[in-house]
Amino acid sequence: MAKNKTSLPVWLRRLTQTVFLLLFIYLFYRTAYHQDNTTGGPVGFFFNLDPLIMLTVWIGGHAVASSLFLSLITLVATLIFGRWFCGWVCPFGALNNLFTSMRGAKRKDLLKTATYSVRQKTKYYIVVIVLVGSFFGANMAGWLDPFSFLYRSFATAVFPAVNAGIQGLFDWLYRVNPIGINALSEPVYRGFRHYFLTIAQPHYFWGMMFGVLFGIVIALNFFRARFWCRYICPLGGLLGIVGKNPILQLSVDADKCKDCMECVLDCQGGAEPQSNETWKPAECLYCWNCHSVCPTKAISFNFKAPGVKS
Amino acid sequence: MNIVKWITNFFSPPTKESRMDLGRRNILAAGIVGLGGGLLVKAHPLEGGRTYNPGLVRPPGSVPESEFLDKCIRCGECMKVCPTNAIQPTMLEAGLEGLWSPVVKTQMGYCEYKCKMCTEVCPTDAINKLTLEEKQKVKIGLAHVDKSRCLPYAYTKLCSVCYEQCPLPDKAIWQEETTVTTASGAKVTVKAPHVNAERCIGCGLCENKCPVSDQAAILITSVGETRNFKNQFLTSDRYSG
Repeated sequence: MAKNKTSLPVWLRRLTQTVFLLLFIYLFYRTAYHQDNTTGGPVGFFFNLDPLIMLTVWIGGHAVASSLFLSLITLVATLIFGRWFCGWVCPFGALNNLFTSMRGAKRKDLLKTATYSVRQKTKYYIVVIVLVGSFFGANMAGWLDPFSFLYRSFATAVFPAVNAGIQGLFDWLYRVNPIGINALSEPVYRGFRHYFLTIAQPHYFWGMMFGVLFGIVIALNFFRARFWCRYICPLGGLLGIVGKNPILQLSVDADKCKDCMECVLDCQGGAEPQSNETWKPAECLYCWNCHSVCPTKAISFNFKAPGVKS
Repeated sequence: MNIVKWITNFFSPPTKESRMDLGRRNILAAGIVGLGGGLLVKAHPLEGGRTYNPGLVRPPGSVPESEFLDKCIRCGECMKVCPTNAIQPTMLEAGLEGLWSPVVKTQMGYCEYKCKMCTEVCPTDAINKLTLEEKQKVKIGLAHVDKSRCLPYAYTKLCSVCYEQCPLPDKAIWQEETTVTTASGAKVTVKAPHVNAERCIGCGLCENKCPVSDQAAILITSVGETRNFKNQFLTSDRYSG
């Protein structure tokens, strides 16, 4: 069976994922001291889009920073498009997606891991724990919220390590000066110094621990596709609950389907898109991989009366 | 009509497959875990102002501790933005419930007098937005001179670092000229530092620059912090809040 060319929706998704991941990194980088004592822009943009943070702060703190109401857009979009946010916007999802696509798993191994697992319900229980906990005064959202997790890991581990790495590399080049490379490396270093490196190396207590946790979550992608998004992510769980009966639905043309299971193997969320009956909207990340990979073009996404499957 | 159908379908799906089927017992168990978590926060010694952790100095503009734990999502924006690297993640300073929330570690950095970046970036208002004038009046803690380590007090050496570093325009540290006897029996006059608790905002610059490098001879603790009106020891502060 000849492999399909990657379809346009998948390319569009990769584009928006890249844009949002780069935007996240840019806003992260912009979260720094400026002369006028402001950040000069909405550096917390992704947190504002996060309905889990809005809900827990609202329930627990009885007052919400008004910018958090932006997350209502996410909720309304989820009612229509399901967990589209996870597949197309979330920068942590994009990162997990990237590492998932790096693994070179074989078809027979994938057959064991790509299908739905009841363990994927874990994330919904985490949502319940977090929401009930915040009602009684313990805001536990931040530990596992994807934006908090990503930002915290970047701030305390990834960024200091990258900073130290770049600084160390150019320090070493300057000291050793192999084949007179300094004439070349020093302007590059000045560029880094001017645009990227911090004045002093940042240090964080427990940075190693945050780095290890981040590394574990990234490494889990090699065990299951988008492990974090499937099993753990409480934001994904919340959006799954809200988007369990979306208007945009997958439909499989049973006449065209050859039961080759390619769609299941490529599914990022374990949503089992091989038939209308098995497809699970709450697990579907709307990545369009199934649509793209289907050799007979049997899979399509259509707007339908919600809750009713064709 | 679709909307009505959708709403009814949302709560009782027409087909078995579109149910989430989380299991009533499992949801109940998860709810009990959440409830237990919340109640254990209520049972924590730091809750309700029974005691305070002297090392738990929160960034300026932080709301009172129990409200802080309701709002802080441990995102690390304040840690990233702090120009002096003073804001650090906690491990157990605020209890397990405060894991990874921000704390000002004055041995790492200090709260820059002319900066209010952490109040700008907090996405949930666990750290309130403040103007620079407001922020410069917020006490995050108070400096205490450790006489057993301080150079003039304990080692009869001249030192004015904390006094000179104090960023307040009218100085929260004043010096008392004292004559002390050295080991060889000579009399020397030193300037012993005292903290003016009315003025000190606990920024920690004195501790950060103190020449006694491992554990400074002037230490910031959380007492006197504006956000917890009971964590005070001067009567005028205690009842003005």
